[in-house]
Amino acid sequence: MSENNDLTQIETSELLVIIHEDLYDGLADEVVQSVNELLRRGMSPYETLTQGLVAGMDVVGVDFRDGILFVPEVLMAAKAMKAGMAVLRPLLAETGAPSIGTMVIGTVKGDIHDIGKNLVTMMMEGAGFKVHDIGINNDADKFIAAIREHKPEVLGMSALLTTTMPYMKTVIQALEREGLRKEVIVLVGGAPVNAPFAEAVGADAYCRDASVAVTTAKARLEERRNAVPV
Amino acid sequence: MPVTHRVAFSPSGRQGSVPDGARLLDAASSLGVEIESICGGRQMCGKCQVSVETGEFAKHGMVSRASNLSPVSAREQAYWDHHVRTEDRRLACAATVCGDLSIFIPPESAVHKQVVAKGAAERVIEVRPAVRQYYVECEAAQLDDRRGDWERLQKALHEQWGLHGLSIGLFALRQLQSALRDGGHAVSVAVWQGSEVLRVQPGYAEGVYGIAIDVGSTTLAGYLSDLRTGQLLSTAGTVNPQIRFGEDLMSRVSYAMTQSDGTARLHEAVVAGLNELIGECIRDAGVSPEQVLDLVLVGNSVMHHLMLGIDPSELGGAPFALSASGAFDLTVRDLGITAASPAARAHLLPCIAGQNGADNMAVLLAEMPHRKGGAVLVADIGTNAEILLGSRDRIWAASSPTGPAFEGAQIQHGQRAAPGAIERVRIDPGTRAVTFKVIGSDVWSHEPGAVLPATGICGSGIIEAIAEMRRAGIIRADGRFEERGAGFVIAAAHQTSIGAPIVVTQNDVRAIQLAKAALCAGIKLLMNRAGVTRLDEIRLAGAFGSFISPRHAMAIGMIPECEVTNVIAVGNAAGDGARIALLDRETRAQAPGLARMVEYVSIAVEPSFQDEFVAAMALPGGPAAGSAPERSRRERRRQLALAGAAARDGES
Repeated sequence: MSENNDLTQIETSELLVIIHEDLYDGLADEVVQSVNELLRRGMSPYETLTQGLVAGMDVVGVDFRDGILFVPEVLMAAKAMKAGMAVLRPLLAETGAPSIGTMVIGTVKGDIHDIGKNLVTMMMEGAGFKVHDIGINNDADKFIAAIREHKPEVLGMSALLTTTMPYMKTVIQALEREGLRKEVIVLVGGAPVNAPFAEAVGADAYCRDASVAVTTAKARLEERRNAVPV
Repeated sequence: MPVTHRVAFSPSGRQGSVPDGARLLDAASSLGVEIESICGGRQMCGKCQVSVETGEFAKHGMVSRASNLSPVSAREQAYWDHHVRTEDRRLACAATVCGDLSIFIPPESAVHKQVVAKGAAERVIEVRPAVRQYYVECEAAQLDDRRGDWERLQKALHEQWGLHGLSIGLFALRQLQSALRDGGHAVSVAVWQGSEVLRVQPGYAEGVYGIAIDVGSTTLAGYLSDLRTGQLLSTAGTVNPQIRFGEDLMSRVSYAMTQSDGTARLHEAVVAGLNELIGECIRDAGVSPEQVLDLVLVGNSVMHHLMLGIDPSELGGAPFALSASGAFDLTVRDLGITAASPAARAHLLPCIAGQNGADNMAVLLAEMPHRKGGAVLVADIGTNAEILLGSRDRIWAASSPTGPAFEGAQIQHGQRAAPGAIERVRIDPGTRAVTFKVIGSDVWSHEPGAVLPATGICGSGIIEAIAEMRRAGIIRADGRFEERGAGFVIAAAHQTSIGAPIVVTQNDVRAIQLAKAALCAGIKLLMNRAGVTRLDEIRLAGAFGSFISPRHAMAIGMIPECEVTNVIAVGNAAGDGARIALLDRETRAQAPGLARMVEYVSIAVEPSFQDEFVAAMALPGGPAAGSAPERSRRERRRQLALAGAAARDGES
């Protein structure tokens, strides 16, 4: 939509709203244009990220949670977000901006269904997290190796089958054995998973969908940062 | 020069010369025409009945007369004295040829029989059973004959029926001496696959039955047939008793994984169900357990393993390894089945893959989609959709995780298909007035005599509702309701039994979008694999497939575009395939080769699955052109922003 669209004519507050709208509609090129325009006006990469992209993806998350947006729209939005992120990432690294958080995510051993997990990955990236997606069919050793390598604050595990979800407990027990359990907030999800199961296997929380995963991760991270002052 | 006569047989059309005085049964055999006989031509079984077609047959160059067969002998007359004689039938084993003849072989006397399985799809089944009955007369034991009765029976079977290299089961061996004694050295033996004696009865006896069983995770369905005629004598259904260990398949695998004796309990439960089902089939058909000598069992891979008492844990996760994929021939005793003859055999069809079991193998046998010409898709839709695609003599298969939404689960007012469930929905695109029809009623809700109240909405009803809502512009292509709310009312409170309206909610639409996208993406992936761009035929198997409206299913993009008249419900194809395997041992023997020939696609790990899945989520079938365009929030917003900027420019 760039016929009569001279971004320089639009106020910054309006431009942020336009970014939110363009993210919502999954328009990657438009998001990149607006991000560049904000940077040109001197907004910091971190502010552009939080006030532009992350705030926009928050709206996407809320509407996904409420059933207004669905998987295809969210994927489009996440792709637009990723395009904007590609502009910001090198600048964020240069300026040493604070990281919102890091996550390792994968489906557990025996489970090869990854669409739900991919959605969580995109929404978490949309919320500004750095996500290391280790793919499908991961045994405990792979989770542990990834945690050692990436030192995430959050670990996400997903399972689509009743028969594969018990493996989450195996991973959590391995974390305990390796002394890593306290290092990560463990979030679990997938069709057969529920809150009592999450509690039973010793996870920190069950997340019903990708949007809940984002809000839960943020809230738990906030709690943890307040509780343990660095 | 010996005297010969011309004999022609119909319906085969075979004809030729036979010597004067030849027995008609032998004459037929010499011309390659097979007439049935259990007693081996002793005028006892009456299975070789034929009739003479009289008159002049110019094409055969003959005049056929009834008198060109030898007169009815005293022995043949003795048979007819005790049996109903249709018209002027003759026993081919008694009559000899003494002139030119045109002989009609009625279908029941032909060795190669066919039966038509009546159902949603009419299937012609060749009757070539694995167990056949033979009557033999053995030599009597002599002081100077050291051989045992079994050796004498083997000799008699070889000489009289050309059967050799036979073995005998312990059950039959225990019957042998008393049967020979009671039958005056004459016995009727049931032989399995031309290789093993299963049963020995004194004198002339008949009656060999078999049961094909579709072992579903919810329901067991049994079909009892006479193995000689192929006729279906009774059908029965019962709930799979395993259901108390878990509603869906994976919870049963989970039970086996977590409980120390879980596999044994699940095995015992399904066997108890099989015994009950067999008992019911037998009672309905008036057959005794001892007469049931062959079973064919089909089920998904988990059921297949649990019937065998094999731990199914490996089928609970990737790589979904089967303990064994091949076909199995077992005795019912091995399985713990007690409701049939202790000598009965049980055959399990092979599995195609860990997630594509013997039930889909049975569907393949019934449908043979690769032989129909064109690109033919067969989908059996349940919690998993099992998909077969046949094209140019090749077969591709996949299993797609559709989830339970099509069965009414995850739907606010969803229910299983049962009387009272809404199964048909129509919405006027202009007025948005809704009419519906419930299962058990032929009358629409707005018509006089409508059967009410509605109890919920079943899978076929929800599909029609969503297709109609889309057409009326109530929901958009992305599945979103045009106006947010508690849902769209299909049945008003006074039309329902739940004291509240039956509605379709936003979440219901989402659940169906996910399920139908999984199915459609699976189909698309197979089509891509096969290089097929358009399907010539879509065949929907299973109960759900029998009730959905092809037009509506296509409207919501559940199945790919296809000529709507070529979307066909084929009923319980798995049950039909089990019956085919029961009655036709040649097709049964082809199954392992077919299973190997199938190209199985594990769609969850296909790189393009996610893209196909996401692409398949939209709802086509929107309002006709000319309706108000769907405007995005972005367009409205951007115009507002630019208008605001213009206004500010004006102020400055």
